[in-house]
Amino acid sequence: MNYIIHLIIMIAIYLILTLGLNLVVGFGGLLSICQAVFYGIGAYATTLLMMKVGVGFMAAVLLSVLITGIFALAIGIPALKFRGDPFVLVTLGFQAIVFTILYNWVELTRGPYGIPGIPRPSIAGYEVTELPEYLILTSLFAGVIIIFLVIIYRSPFGLALKALRDDEMAAEGLGKPPFYLFLGAFVISGMVASVAGSLYATYVTYIDPTSFTLDESIFLLVILLVGGTGNLKGPVVGTVFLILLPEALRFLGLPDTIAPNVRQILYGLIIVAFMFLRPRGIAGEFKLR
Amino acid sequence: MVGLKIKNLSKTLLGMEIIRKVTATFLPGRITALVGPNGAGKTTIFNLICGYLTPDNGAVFYDDEDITGLQPYQVARKGIGRLFQDVRIFEGMTVLENVVTACMPYASESPLFPFMRPLRLSRLYKHARERSCYWLEFVGLYAKKDYPASELSFGQQKLLAIARLLSKGFRVMLLDEPASGLSPIATKKVMATLERIVSEDRDKTIVVVEHNMKVVTEMADWVYFMNEGQVAFFGRTDHVLGAREVREMYLGF
Amino acid sequence: MTLLLQLLVNAVCNAAIYALLAIGFGLIYRSLRFFNIGFGAVYVIASYVVIALSETFGIPLFASIPLGIFAGILSSILIDRLVFSPLEGYGAPTGVLLVASLGVYIAIVNLIALIFGNEIKIITKGMEPSFTIGPIIVTRIQIAQILIGWTGAILFWLSIRKNTLVKAIWAMGIAPELVIALGLPYKRMRAIVFSLSALFAAAASIITTLDVGIDPHVGMGALLTGAVAVIVGGVNFYWGWVSGASLIALLQAIGVWLFSAKWNELITFGILIITLIFRPDGIFSPKRRAEER
Repeated sequence: MNYIIHLIIMIAIYLILTLGLNLVVGFGGLLSICQAVFYGIGAYATTLLMMKVGVGFMAAVLLSVLITGIFALAIGIPALKFRGDPFVLVTLGFQAIVFTILYNWVELTRGPYGIPGIPRPSIAGYEVTELPEYLILTSLFAGVIIIFLVIIYRSPFGLALKALRDDEMAAEGLGKPPFYLFLGAFVISGMVASVAGSLYATYVTYIDPTSFTLDESIFLLVILLVGGTGNLKGPVVGTVFLILLPEALRFLGLPDTIAPNVRQILYGLIIVAFMFLRPRGIAGEFKLR
Repeated sequence: MVGLKIKNLSKTLLGMEIIRKVTATFLPGRITALVGPNGAGKTTIFNLICGYLTPDNGAVFYDDEDITGLQPYQVARKGIGRLFQDVRIFEGMTVLENVVTACMPYASESPLFPFMRPLRLSRLYKHARERSCYWLEFVGLYAKKDYPASELSFGQQKLLAIARLLSKGFRVMLLDEPASGLSPIATKKVMATLERIVSEDRDKTIVVVEHNMKVVTEMADWVYFMNEGQVAFFGRTDHVLGAREVREMYLGF
Repeated sequence: MTLLLQLLVNAVCNAAIYALLAIGFGLIYRSLRFFNIGFGAVYVIASYVVIALSETFGIPLFASIPLGIFAGILSSILIDRLVFSPLEGYGAPTGVLLVASLGVYIAIVNLIALIFGNEIKIITKGMEPSFTIGPIIVTRIQIAQILIGWTGAILFWLSIRKNTLVKAIWAMGIAPELVIALGLPYKRMRAIVFSLSALFAAAASIITTLDVGIDPHVGMGALLTGAVAVIVGGVNFYWGWVSGASLIALLQAIGVWLFSAKWNELITFGILIITLIFRPDGIFSPKRRAEER
């Protein structure tokens, strides 16, 4: 039972990440490979605020969102001068840079040793410690964020992003400013990822930089590519499928030493197969360009 | 002076002087045609006006305001719309969404708008849908409004792009080959629409680049004849197209 | 001061390897216009074939190294034939090719990790013979790296100027449709691009592995170094690739001197981002009028 609750919590955290990234990848049509950066900054900011500054959980979450938003702005402004391969490369560059900083700035982040003993979230004096309580907390956060994102998906902002994605020149000709709209999407997606980071850090109570690597960013992108983008159901299908896939593999009785590699091989093959058979993913509406 | 005016525009791309000191005035209440052989620089002029290219020299004025070097979206927000030669519809949307996205007001496109003004947003959507349906009906695409735009034929996509432009209510419309790829009936319809727009609203300015001389003669009031990046002749349509030099140089009779 | 000199010597070695990576990556990126992450997989395959042959079957290095290079070339062509060529046949856009190549990379690298394990493998054990020139120490492998790297770079440059087929490959990047219009053998040229790219990848991979060993996940780093060198130097300018590679190696050496080796990645990607922002055509590309998009 605890195992199932754990899976649902992880699915909720990943839904926040992928539905946020969907705004950039699915609506904006921009392949961004740095979502794990914002996830990581959110996790580290919350952890440090709670442990070093002594801020409460809710305040830490909100402050982390703000901090991550500033980072997203700083990364988005140079990155969004580009489209296509150079955009992918610049986001990838920032992914590598932020990871290097998290890993090597030992004074602040304890680097590879990670930060153990992160306090449990407490809201209005009520400390969330038990797994089912945590499930409720995560679901509440995820629910609010998903509603927030769905409203944005359906807003004129979302529609304008889609227009830019389909034909940037034509959309510009109708008065849509590409840079500002894309930047808005990028920052929102980063801020949302920060909340996922806060939830993850206080749930696992231990973080180290290896949770926020390039591989993690790629994994989030793979979820979107497999599930599909540009709507709500695509990322949901992808997240559930790819979070449960390794668990399904576990029932095949693979030894723990080789299981991660087998899983990765499967991811790789699935991506290639999807590019051949269904470049818009299982339930997506947008085809990669 | 009202209207759109370009003054001494020059542009060199990849070492080739595509536009050389072009000066032209496009007045409201009138359909002006840009004609000339391929490579004469007609589309480049549109790109320079709309901000997709920045001129090396010269300036673009709109109602006496210098709009040279503005971003394309800023030019569009001044009320200058553009129909592209290759239609450029939004393929991932339905036909209706294509037009709705065009007629939503700019202020509603802020990410926070739906949270600040939810009621106003639903009113805006309703209004935009009604207006879109009107224009789709007008170009004869109403029956297809819920189809994915990518399933339309080329001619229908062009009509959709025209509907998108009309629904936006631009005061200046720059149309790059509006009639190419359309059936004779659709061509007639588009021409009639454009003529109606300028005759009903003397405030509208329409500029067309068109290869179909029949369309130009029937529709345009004023013609700029371009050759090798320069304006060779301009004047009333019958004067320019009636001139012997133009016929010999371009039309070949 | 001695330290700085030593670091500069190391930078020359690294520059040679980075140049090989840049040429290998750049060949495909420029001629076929797609960002091939599969290059990183080919890089890893070559070294692991050498390791398998020499460690498991006891084949001496002078025989297993050519076989490793051959395996790299073969896998590069195979990947193209099985994945990229068919996708391009369907008219796949570059984004799809990029993502498919990522899938290929992930699958192959983890297959290798599954067989050989995730930890570092080292071929040469014991001390590498070294030479002392004044205060500087140079190992035998470093000399090999410099020789192979710079010979490869110069040979490739000569063949761009002299060899018709390589000339045609170089021209393909400017106008891909021209190749078919001129009746040039597109398929064969494509195979040659992929083999040459693999040749450079394998060379860089094997001489690096002989020096410091390899683990299955270094392919991404190698790919990115090559890519950054090409883009920083200027995609359309061959000497730019080599200069980009040298610049990265040099700045990394200075970074090590001033701070520590752990900031190498930050330096590489810092150069990339700064270049893209201020000189999107590359630092070393000949002055060209800014083209409008």
